[in-house]
Amino acid sequence: MQIIIQGLLLSGLYALIAMGFTLIFSVGRVLNLAYGAYLLIGGYVYFTISQTLGVPKLIGLFIAAIVGCMVGLLKYRLLVKPLKGNHVAVEISTLILAVVLQAGVVFIYGDSSKILLPIVAGVTQVAGASVTYNLLAATMASWTILIGLYFFVRKTHVGRAMQAVSMDTRGASISGVDPDKINMFTWGLSGALGATAGVFFASYTQLSPSMWVAPLIISVAVVIVGGIGSIIGTLIVAHIVGFMEVLAVAVIAPELRGVFTMLLIIGVLVVRPQGLFGREEL
Amino acid sequence: MSFKKSSRLMALGIAAMTTAAVSTAAQAEIKVGFIGSLSSDTGLSTLRGAEIAIEELNANGGVLGEQITLVKADTAEDPTEGVKAYEFLAESEEVDFIISGSIDDVSLGWMPRMQEFQIPTLDTWTSYIGIIDMIVEDYDSMKPYFMNIASDEALATLYIDFGKDVLKEKMGWDSVIILQEDTAFGGAIAGLVTDALAPNAGIEVVDTLVYDITTNDFAPLFSRAQDSGADFIYLISSVNSQVVSSQYVKLQVPMGMTGVNVAALGQEFWEDTGGAAGGISTLSPVPSVGFKLDPVSQAFVDTYQAKYKSRPVMPHFNGFNAYHGVKQAMAAAEEAGGFNNTSWVEAMEKQDLKLDLDGKPWLRYGFWGNDEVEPRTGRTYPHNARFDITEPYEDGSPSMVVIQWYEDGSNAVVYPEKYATGDFTVPSWVKQ
Amino acid sequence: MNLRLTHFLMWLAFIALMFAIPEFVSKGTLRTLIFANFLAIFAISWDVLSGRTGYISFGHPFLIGIGAYTSAILTKRFDVPIELAIPAAVAMTMVGGVVVFLPALRIKGSYFALVTLAFMELMYQLVQVIRPDLTGGTRGMSGVQTLTRGAVNGYYLSVSLMLAVALSMWLLMRTQLGTALSAVGMNEESVRGSGLSVTKLKLFAFLTSAFVAGLGGAFYVHYLGSIAPRALFDINFLFTIIVAALIGGASTIIGPVIGAFFLTFLLEYLRPYLPGAERYFIYGMIALLLYMYEPKGLIAIFSKGWQRLRGGAGSEQSSAS
Repeated sequence: MQIIIQGLLLSGLYALIAMGFTLIFSVGRVLNLAYGAYLLIGGYVYFTISQTLGVPKLIGLFIAAIVGCMVGLLKYRLLVKPLKGNHVAVEISTLILAVVLQAGVVFIYGDSSKILLPIVAGVTQVAGASVTYNLLAATMASWTILIGLYFFVRKTHVGRAMQAVSMDTRGASISGVDPDKINMFTWGLSGALGATAGVFFASYTQLSPSMWVAPLIISVAVVIVGGIGSIIGTLIVAHIVGFMEVLAVAVIAPELRGVFTMLLIIGVLVVRPQGLFGREEL
Repeated sequence: MSFKKSSRLMALGIAAMTTAAVSTAAQAEIKVGFIGSLSSDTGLSTLRGAEIAIEELNANGGVLGEQITLVKADTAEDPTEGVKAYEFLAESEEVDFIISGSIDDVSLGWMPRMQEFQIPTLDTWTSYIGIIDMIVEDYDSMKPYFMNIASDEALATLYIDFGKDVLKEKMGWDSVIILQEDTAFGGAIAGLVTDALAPNAGIEVVDTLVYDITTNDFAPLFSRAQDSGADFIYLISSVNSQVVSSQYVKLQVPMGMTGVNVAALGQEFWEDTGGAAGGISTLSPVPSVGFKLDPVSQAFVDTYQAKYKSRPVMPHFNGFNAYHGVKQAMAAAEEAGGFNNTSWVEAMEKQDLKLDLDGKPWLRYGFWGNDEVEPRTGRTYPHNARFDITEPYEDGSPSMVVIQWYEDGSNAVVYPEKYATGDFTVPSWVKQ
Repeated sequence: MNLRLTHFLMWLAFIALMFAIPEFVSKGTLRTLIFANFLAIFAISWDVLSGRTGYISFGHPFLIGIGAYTSAILTKRFDVPIELAIPAAVAMTMVGGVVVFLPALRIKGSYFALVTLAFMELMYQLVQVIRPDLTGGTRGMSGVQTLTRGAVNGYYLSVSLMLAVALSMWLLMRTQLGTALSAVGMNEESVRGSGLSVTKLKLFAFLTSAFVAGLGGAFYVHYLGSIAPRALFDINFLFTIIVAALIGGASTIIGPVIGAFFLTFLLEYLRPYLPGAERYFIYGMIALLLYMYEPKGLIAIFSKGWQRLRGGAGSEQSSAS
């Protein structure tokens, strides 16, 4: 029971983290290796605004999301677009960017880690498991955003345009969708999602200049195993990864926690490169 | 072979004959190198301690009649950058002495360079006993190296007494579950605690949980700890300690937790955790937060706080080590006539600063003799800070104290008795 | 083979220049050059695999780490003589190369990059968990036997190794095998169409790359004298290797060498002016801007500049490879 509760909570957080990464990967078809940096920026912006300046938490969260969105847009304008679909170049330049941003954070904040106050304070015991309201809120936010996103993509005009671009950029542009605008929109959305996830992730764990690596790996695992373009796949695999971690810690050996995730990535990629729920294409 | 420039002797002779004003000429300087991270509280504590010591020494005429300058080399806490930084200090800057605020793997990284260049080097932060073992095994190549913090083994040994005197006798706890990070440090401390806690303190180790240092979710681990039926958790965490301690507070884990929590050593801990730190206790090298200071150390802190406004607002223990250590290294150079690695090493080995508070021996900065055997652990500690792990702590500084953060944000030393400024407590949500 | 006398003269001049350097520079600069030499070796190794065949490896530290750890463990823990430990380390790394090769049979592009990244992360965690008595766990090992002492000796050793690797890779790339490898990078299908075995070609590239990585890694650890997981299986280390190859100019031999020297010196020369964290920020920014400005690397910038110097119209021959 404890395992189920803890697994659900952690998975919810992971789904939220991976969502923005999935979006870019399915619509833009590039690996945004600087995705973790949105979480970094989101966390630190929230820290500065809410914890240092004392602005109400919701406003802090909102500003963090806005900043994340801006960074996403800037990244698309200044980095992705000039490199015109050269995937390798985008991947490598986003990797460089992530390292640069990390150095920037060390420069401004120093490299000692900080702890964010919970966005929602309080804790309760459910069936012998401690449940913080903060993580509960993160899980609920995650589910809300996921469901919202699902319907957004299915039902709205912009959402359907995103789907179209994701399937076939040229086809989409012939049928009157401007792939550039859609890409732009997706990068902004992804940035905002990443920054929001960053605030929740940091408020559960910690704020440190190297905090972008772990969420990146989680996102990679989720996207790889889930397959591209699948919101449902993302959700399911976030739960596989989350539960696997909780199980590894609770039942098997806590020190091997990360090893299982890596093995899952490698295993799935080699056996079923299109992911468990992905389309039959690369 | 000596890397000492022979021209130094001549310059020295000339400087001695001329007035003090001439000795500020650029070439006749004593160069001290700092190696450590320039963006961590740890590194900055050492750097600033050294800066203040050098300012004070220069105001009093410098050393060997020359002014001292300080050269900084950033390691960014990366072992390879550490090697480059050491080479930069040794070969580009040709420093006479190196003061280090490096962490374990960074010190181990540049250690082969220290052995090669034979530059007098003083470590103020890493407490890894393995480095002292290297001195025992190969004294000749390791002798310019000194470590003026008690090694980790000594920290753990005194901690056992805390278990017996406080955890067992005062709190009435009989069993413990160890929550240990998966690092060499964690393994070493867990081993010492497991082997000594039961026989000496009568506390049974129920289980040991080893966790990966990138763990960001401790809820399942705390559940396992609760299920084990142990009376309290013994935490060993040197990396990312904020995560585990803040989750302990956020999850309100209903059992006591103490142990080693490196993040809690600084005055900024409360601020960094946004207050999610109440109830955390940890062993700490001396002096620590909440530690009553003797007049000499207090004067250092006053100068420090007047000079530096950014974090860390209060130097960590290694800042004190650097401040006293640089002065001792320069005094040794004065006695030995330079930084020659035979006479300087001998002079450094004899340095001994005893600081009293209210007529009682309080802190001591000196080193163990090369063949001197510490009676409780039965081994030698050449070039390691002289520590004392038996009451009444008159032969040296205690190897550690236990500090406690309270839920109102204040902190105090709670053990040993002699240094205590407050009582050991568990957080309010833990039922006694 | 397409070899001309001018090529050999250029190599000869380059080698002579590299060997003459210790006469003119300080010991401190030599130390920096040593790191640049090792980085050049790693960048060449990365380029043989990724620059040529287009299989972007994000896990190169995985291979280098195998070489470095194998040799360090053999010499330190089992007292194996260094002359035997290094070949053993190279062999071990080539086994690692085969392991990295296996996923390349099925996947490519971004997916391959990710799987190699996962290899590196996996290694980082395993080294700390499995047999810490051998690997030294998180702290790593210090006091590993070193081959040389002093900056000058270290320089000659590293520069000889770097030049040997560079020259043999250059020769290899000028054979038909080398041309075929580059063709795999351009278009796998057409290579397959021309009757060559793509799989064998790829395996060859992976093994060659692993050979160089293992050799470099083993010598590197015997130069440093210490090894730690954080120093090797690290995104920053990966970043330096890839950026060195790309900034210099991928798919060339001299490119990664130029890139490695440029990066190492950039970082080291910023030290006196920017001692703290801002150094890495500026360093990364310069790398990013340079890469964005000219993805083909410094070598393309140089050759453009050279052509402009020669009057622009005069030459249509670019000799940058």
